[in-house]
Amino acid sequence: MTEEKTKSKNFTSILIPTSLYKKLEEKVKETEFSSVSSLVTHIIREYLAKLEEEKEVFSEEEEEEIKERLRALGYID
Amino acid sequence: MSEPKVLVIGLDAAPPELLFDAFLDELPNIKSLVENGIYGKMKSCVPPITIPAWMVMSTSKNPGKLGIYGFRHRKNYSYTDIWIANYQKIKEKTVWNILSEKGKRSIVIGVPPTYPPKPLNGYLISCFITPTNAKQYTYPPELKEEIEKVVGNYIFDIPFRTEERDKLLKGLYEMTEKRFKLIKYLLKNKKWDFFMFVEIGLDRVQHAFWKFFDPEHHLYEPHSKYSDAILNYYKCLDQQIEELLKIIPKNTKIVVVSDHGAKRMKGALCINEWLIKEGYLTLKKYPEQKIRLEKAEVDWKKTIAWGWGGYYARIFLNVEGREPQGIIKPEEYEDVRDELAEKIENIRGPSGEKLETKVIKPEEYYPEINGEPPDLMVFFDDLYWRSAGTIGHNTVYLPENDTGPDDAVHSQYGIHIIYDPNQNFGGKKIDIDILDVAPTILRLLEIEPPGDMEGKVVEGV
Ligand SMILES: [Zn+2]
Repeated sequence: MTEEKTKSKNFTSILIPTSLYKKLEEKVKETEFSSVSSLVTHIIREYLAKLEEEKEVFSEEEEEEIKERLRALGYID
Repeated sequence: MSEPKVLVIGLDAAPPELLFDAFLDELPNIKSLVENGIYGKMKSCVPPITIPAWMVMSTSKNPGKLGIYGFRHRKNYSYTDIWIANYQKIKEKTVWNILSEKGKRSIVIGVPPTYPPKPLNGYLISCFITPTNAKQYTYPPELKEEIEKVVGNYIFDIPFRTEERDKLLKGLYEMTEKRFKLIKYLLKNKKWDFFMFVEIGLDRVQHAFWKFFDPEHHLYEPHSKYSDAILNYYKCLDQQIEELLKIIPKNTKIVVVSDHGAKRMKGALCINEWLIKEGYLTLKKYPEQKIRLEKAEVDWKKTIAWGWGGYYARIFLNVEGREPQGIIKPEEYEDVRDELAEKIENIRGPSGEKLETKVIKPEEYYPEINGEPPDLMVFFDDLYWRSAGTIGHNTVYLPENDTGPDDAVHSQYGIHIIYDPNQNFGGKKIDIDILDVAPTILRLLEIEPPGDMEGKVVEGV
């Protein structure tokens, strides 16, 4: 994928098919996202978070610690 | 016209009997919301427990659909391996997910379970299942640093079940003060359309101090310096709410909710002791002191069923082909389960009194089942008796909880208040279901609730 540099170092652009862009442009109107970019950023963030989900949430040590707390709170025994 | 805004004030475990009946006159700000709003009881989900209740509320999906039946679940029908409920396991869309898709901004604080944080259009601070402050507990990650600048070390929860009650109270107020300081900061300094927070402190104070104020409690201690501990905390919350009301934009609609109620605990019923007594559970050796079942030497080849403790009991059957050493033939499963369910329903109290126990078969109760539900869900005596899973007590009944001092249990009905500054509802009393909260919030934000939400918009909103 080609990347084009924009003016700010904090942002970069990616190329997507124009037809897709046009579809998103229509979609943006139904939302309060200010632009296709902000909508796409939101979609990508969700995608990346989904990938993270495959990992274990708690380490073994953390899990023991949480269980201890939940026991003290009466939620589990 | 200005964009609609909603602030949801979550008071974990606030029961109608305290908030609306016993304490309301001492809570001027909440009282004014009640008198000008719609208010009433809110029927929580089954089970009425913090997890799944807040997520049932936030998604308008029942626990079966969510596949969340409590704080822990078995891993692949293992006898001992469990997983702890967390935000990643929530696959249904929450109100803030729906708002994010619409480009509306949300700020979400302390809703269980929201650890580990997931993205939204806005800001999220996770809840009390966050392992430590060293973890990433915000979305976006940069927010964490900002929080620490505002309140220092943020407090998710207080260490609990301590007999040092003064210390507990001090920690409780410190936590609450920090939470509200942060809430006020975010209300003022960030853009939001939807703001929701849960204060867990109310649940904690009720568990720790119920026996000091309720003469009906079997361990009631009159004339205690803690008699007003619960009331004082409600007053503190009311004052905090007053400050929030001062700083939010005038058009903000306000929803006050709890996830379930609370009431005095009558005691703990040792489910595994009972199962041993009835021949359902066999140990190789009965322990000499209190231990958890997972630490005990269970003779699985001779065990038909075992149970978990908590505010309700979860019962598991040892089924051939499903459990590692299962002995119940699949074709006998239903008969064994029916017989056990009937016996459990007929368990009597320590003095032979009848208990109002309810036993549920998950797949008959929920319209859809995901995850691994227990074989039976048991609510002893309308939840007045909690379930203790530990063994070694040499009795079925305990006057106190098996994992430390605790005075209260959960109850089925929480509360709700809906206040709209643009229209006076005049203190109309309407009882609602926990599933109704999410669609109602969306309606308040002038967004049509998705058709798959299970609840309905509260009448008049
Ligand atoms: Zn709760």
